[in-house]
Amino acid sequence: MATAIPSIACLGVIGRNNNPLHISILPSYDPSTNAFAPVRTPLQFSLLLSSTLDVFELRARHNAANNIGLTGDYGLLHAVDERLASYGFETNTGVKFVVIVDMRGRRIDGSVAAGMVDAARRGAAAVGLREGEMKPVFKAMQTAYIKLLQNPFFDPDEHSPPSGTGGKKITSKKFADDIRRIGENWTPGVTAL
Amino acid sequence: MDEYPAGSLDQSIPLLLTLGVSASSAPHGTELSAALKEQAVLVRSDLEPLDTEDALALLRYIQKRDASQLPCNGHDIGRRYRFRVRTAERSLLLPPRRARLPDGVEAPPTPAVLHSPFSPLSPVSLLYPDGFIDTQWLQKHQDIVPSVLLCFYTLVSDPALATLCDNQIKTDVNNIKALLSQSGYKSRLAVVLLSDRGAHSLDSVQERLETLRKVCGIDPKALFFVPPNESPDELERIGENMLTTLYGVAIEYYRDLGRHARKKRGRGVAPHPTVPPTSGTSQILSLVGWNVRYDFKSAIFAEYRLEMDIALRSFEQAYEGLLSSELLELIPSWSPRWNDARFLADVIAVRCLRCLLWNAQYSAAARRWQSHRDRVADFVERRGRGTSNYGWKAWEARWATVMANLIERARLPEFLPSNYKVYLQPEKSVMGERLQPWEYLHHTGYWYRIAAKHLSGRRAFAHSIPEDDRRPPSSSPASRVASKAFTYDTYMCPGPHEEYPLDSEGVVDHSHMIVESLMRARAEFLKRHQVRLAAELSLECAEELAVSKDWQSIVELLRPLWKDMTFRTEGWLTVAEDLSWMLRAAAARTSKAELVIAMDWELLNRSFTRRNNWHYDISRALDSISLDSKPQVHIEDGQTLSFVSASFLFRNDEGKAGQSTNGQLAITSNAHPGSAPITLSNIQVDFTGSLSHIILRHEEKVDAKTQQKRGNVVLSRVSLRTVVGEENGNQPSGLEEDLSKSVTLQGAANLTLAPGQTIVFDVQVPLREPGETRAVSLTLNYQSETFGLEQYLSFQRTDSAKLWYLSAASTTRISRDNPLSIHVLPRPPQMEIVGLTWSEQYYTDEPIALEFEIINEEEVDAPAKLDVTLLGEDAPVFTTEVPSQENEASSSVAGSDESKVSGVSLGSIESSKSLSIYVRVPAIKRSSRFDLTLKVVYYLSTDPGTPITQTSIFQLNVVNPFEANYDLLPRIHPDPWPSLFDPEGVRDLTGADDTTNLIPRGLSQTWCLVTRYASFASEDLCVTDVDIRAQTSQTVTCTSTRKVPALDKAEGGGHIVKPKTIEDAAFDIVAQKSTLDDRSPATLDVSFVIKWTRLNHSSPSALPNITTLPVPRFTLFGIEPRVLASVSHLRLKEAESAGGSKSLGRRNRLLVVLRVVIENASNHFLTFGLTMEPSDEFAFSGPKQTTVHLLPVSRRAVTYRLLPLRETGDDGPNKSVGSWIRPGLVVRDKYFQKVLRVIPTEGMKLDKEGGVLVWVPPEEEEVEEDSQEEETEEEEEESDDDDDEDDDDE
Repeated sequence: MATAIPSIACLGVIGRNNNPLHISILPSYDPSTNAFAPVRTPLQFSLLLSSTLDVFELRARHNAANNIGLTGDYGLLHAVDERLASYGFETNTGVKFVVIVDMRGRRIDGSVAAGMVDAARRGAAAVGLREGEMKPVFKAMQTAYIKLLQNPFFDPDEHSPPSGTGGKKITSKKFADDIRRIGENWTPGVTAL
Repeated sequence: MDEYPAGSLDQSIPLLLTLGVSASSAPHGTELSAALKEQAVLVRSDLEPLDTEDALALLRYIQKRDASQLPCNGHDIGRRYRFRVRTAERSLLLPPRRARLPDGVEAPPTPAVLHSPFSPLSPVSLLYPDGFIDTQWLQKHQDIVPSVLLCFYTLVSDPALATLCDNQIKTDVNNIKALLSQSGYKSRLAVVLLSDRGAHSLDSVQERLETLRKVCGIDPKALFFVPPNESPDELERIGENMLTTLYGVAIEYYRDLGRHARKKRGRGVAPHPTVPPTSGTSQILSLVGWNVRYDFKSAIFAEYRLEMDIALRSFEQAYEGLLSSELLELIPSWSPRWNDARFLADVIAVRCLRCLLWNAQYSAAARRWQSHRDRVADFVERRGRGTSNYGWKAWEARWATVMANLIERARLPEFLPSNYKVYLQPEKSVMGERLQPWEYLHHTGYWYRIAAKHLSGRRAFAHSIPEDDRRPPSSSPASRVASKAFTYDTYMCPGPHEEYPLDSEGVVDHSHMIVESLMRARAEFLKRHQVRLAAELSLECAEELAVSKDWQSIVELLRPLWKDMTFRTEGWLTVAEDLSWMLRAAAARTSKAELVIAMDWELLNRSFTRRNNWHYDISRALDSISLDSKPQVHIEDGQTLSFVSASFLFRNDEGKAGQSTNGQLAITSNAHPGSAPITLSNIQVDFTGSLSHIILRHEEKVDAKTQQKRGNVVLSRVSLRTVVGEENGNQPSGLEEDLSKSVTLQGAANLTLAPGQTIVFDVQVPLREPGETRAVSLTLNYQSETFGLEQYLSFQRTDSAKLWYLSAASTTRISRDNPLSIHVLPRPPQMEIVGLTWSEQYYTDEPIALEFEIINEEEVDAPAKLDVTLLGEDAPVFTTEVPSQENEASSSVAGSDESKVSGVSLGSIESSKSLSIYVRVPAIKRSSRFDLTLKVVYYLSTDPGTPITQTSIFQLNVVNPFEANYDLLPRIHPDPWPSLFDPEGVRDLTGADDTTNLIPRGLSQTWCLVTRYASFASEDLCVTDVDIRAQTSQTVTCTSTRKVPALDKAEGGGHIVKPKTIEDAAFDIVAQKSTLDDRSPATLDVSFVIKWTRLNHSSPSALPNITTLPVPRFTLFGIEPRVLASVSHLRLKEAESAGGSKSLGRRNRLLVVLRVVIENASNHFLTFGLTMEPSDEFAFSGPKQTTVHLLPVSRRAVTYRLLPLRETGDDGPNKSVGSWIRPGLVVRDKYFQKVLRVIPTEGMKLDKEGGVLVWVPPEEEEVEEDSQEEETEEEEEESDDDDDEDDDDE
């Protein structure tokens, strides 16, 4: 029996001005064609990412109203439907990382799963996600972003101008590769990327 | 939820039926089917229904407390009961407990066991023979059979009628009770007795109530009495109590029913139907089926009792039973029971969900929702017609909508829009588990959105139905009809011929359903400020509307979004682009020309992806639209993502008014490559500050010299001409702002902007007024044949906007912070103020005249005015003279520490001419310092509006030119003293009054006042005269004479005093007391007066300045006796002739005559002893030791003759210089045994021990030494005075 497990469908980096800095779309397993393909179009992913900004704002307002400290990890932002859910993290400079998880993005063969040592854990992993499951992803993304910032030719103000509107996208190939690697390597239960 | 049959999903709430009050509602029992109505039991009251006010008010209150619309959540709502209230006026219909046998059925041999008409056992039931349960049963309990029947009666107060009426009530109640028990239902009966208006004692009422209760056998808890004339509040209270009491009764009723259902389940046998089935499979409901039925029933009854946990358990039991392998698995999918079972499963699942929501198990609810969907999907896949058809999608959509409705109905307080919650936290029991994100219960917007998605899926499947199946069954072959039945899942949705008919509009309007769902979702998102998600839904909506070609709605939906789109400002360009194209299509079809133009303008931007088959030519924007008028579009900055960007730079950060500066306007097109070049008709740059606008017009032919082109950059040098704003008529439309008062600069240039090109205009901007001038915005004006467009751009201070084009090929970066603005300095004044006679120092007591020259260095005449301010402590009043203005003098107005003349008209000063003015300051008494400010305010005759100011500040130092110090030296008055005993000295008593004309007869003293004054001026001064001025008092007469004639050397011209040199002047002062009787000490008040002029003073005729210096006060006429010594010299020639051979060869020897005068100014007789000690310095003649007696007020003199003994053959200097000898003269007061000090006078001095030194002049020059002598003597004077004081002490 095959079990669907979550995978990352899209990783987004959103600038301080709510402008998209980087979007990585990762393919998910499609059982009908038995192939890997993104579950949504790039436009739809853009919409998905931008819709998380609403939740970021709501949370920020809620946190400010309730005087909750600045925790960067916003956890689950919302689930768009049964398959896709967004998780968010905000750095203290206002850069947001969004992970869109496809809850049925991968399929592991039941027999393979059974053969695995921690089969029980695998089975549990297939059911859902724990609260801190996305932490390693955010951590890895932040590390990648910090690496990008350490590049002296990278000007953060160009990407999120202090004027408050717009900004350029990140063009660094290395950063894109890093993010893609993070997206590909993550599976539930992974503790470090 | 609405798609399910009415009543099937509603929450079960105890039913309360009122009887006996007129109410405007439908008669009870209409829900029953005709067949059942026929057999129904009619319960009826024979008494007239009440219509008293109290009864109606009470009924209204009860109706108001109907709970069917209350939120379905377990939170406390502050109410102890929930009732669904129905009313019946006189009668109610109850369905029969036993169904009759249908007519056509042959009665079984044994007496038929009849069952309820709602049971699958009865042949009349639709469920017969193997159904489970249906909505009718639910409806029976929810709508028809009440848990409590509440009868209203009037308790008549009239004693005559009371008994009769009571009896009527008794009969009626008993009658109803009988009918109820006959019907077989266990509904509880409750009675409300309302008093009529008449007052009567409560005792009798109590008794009557008791009787009624007993006779009718009513539960005491179910009998209520409403006293007469109750206030509305009181009525409400009674109603509240009544309902609370009755709720307990109702719960009891449902508990009984539930118990009954459980009892039946406990039997464990499937009952047999009244008549065994003969049709179909002859299958009857299995025991499992019966158990499902019983579990469902007891769950429903538990729900009535609000025992949600029990209800949930029973529902789950029923659900498991239903979906078990023994039940649903066995039902073939073609059987109608298949759909019935699915329906029942849905109903149970919905009720389970409600229980979970009620218990605040939100994640469990979400999970339950999923699991039902999954289980049903599994069943449908395996046993039914699969999930790849429209029927399944329809169900999925419905299932999502049901969840949304349930959440809505539950009205969870956590989901209030004000909480801004997107989803709810899971309950504690599942908190640690691995939850699917969707298992966090999201708000209804998400559910509606899922429903919309499934509806889209449904339409997609519907559209894939083959044409054959879409024909109506009547026109298709029978085989086709049969196969359709097996292919399509029509559970709660129409067949394929209705879902997507071939010819006509379908019954199902998919688009409408989708849009409706989306709009509901959108409303929810908007409520929670999820604007971006709402925008996304609008976009989906628009896509849906585009399918149905509802362009107008699209425009309405998207236009506000497009106008202030966060996607655009935040850079989600793909989204913005999608939206724009969508809206453009809709706008083009609805002839919204402005919108189309604005959007075509925006879509030219290269940031958007290029559409291959698009013309990208703004002039063709309105090709497909025909319009009557020519639209004018105005686009604000930031309203769209303009493909044109612009910057303006000033070359310098500072400029001066009246000069001009360089500015550059750069316009860059970021249009799609290959798009048509755009020719702007004109552009306008707006400024703040004095500059108003620069307008550049398009001109096709431009002089090649002024234009450079290289690559994508075109640099043009544009000359501007100033146009004063009357030319408004010529302004192109759209730029007609209020220019009337301002000045506009205009120029012409080629304004064609090709894609990717940057056009740069280099302009010379004249600066007019001082201040800050900043380029604010640019307005681009585009005119085509069909429309006009105006784009407004404000300049930003970004880094990229700092490039200055030196030529088309080379640029330089302007490093200033804000090159958009220039600081215009005021026009520099060209008027000079020169102080002509200016000296470093001015002196006190000197009138100061200052001359200034004002030189006009402007190129034109300048009418000017002058302000003069003198600032300093006690600034004096001064005058200003302007000679050219007929010597008009203006006096200043003195304030506390400033003195000011303002607005002195200087007339018009011609170009390169000058004007002299004078400022005259009167003599100032004290040394001080002033600031003299001259301010010339003028304007040019060519530019009368601009005042120009030139200011000069001069510092006026006024110092004291002289300082002096003084010595008062005693002298011997030559005249004899008046005698006390002289009768001539006695005052004439007759003339005692007339003191002024009295000849002074008192004591006289002579003093010598020596003054030494020094010039503190910085230059030579000419002192013309010095003098002292004595203050005469009544007792003392003073006369003074100038003794030293040194000043007279330079007659008329005076004496020139150099700075920092000390000059001497001595004055003799003779003081005389007016009477002899007055012997008190007197003071001497004199002041020293210096008359002087400046040497370089241009007008010698001017009066000399008089500086008066006060002299410290001296004391005269002490009463102590004093001893004054004086010397005179005698030439020894005489002595030689008289003397012998002793002095031979010493012809020039001097004889010094020392005269000692003892003055006794006291009233006592005094005796002094004089001793002259011999000395080897001199020889003397006179008494060596003598005694002098002095009468009161008298003086006596003793004379010694001294011959100084000088060494013969001594050195030259001794002889020529002269020397001092010290006579050892001691004067002793005999009485006090005190030595009196001898006070030296001219030619004498004191040595350090207080002895008197006598000057022996050199042999031939004794006379001239006097001044020098006195000078040296001066040092001793002070100690001399001290000694005097010592004497006084004794």
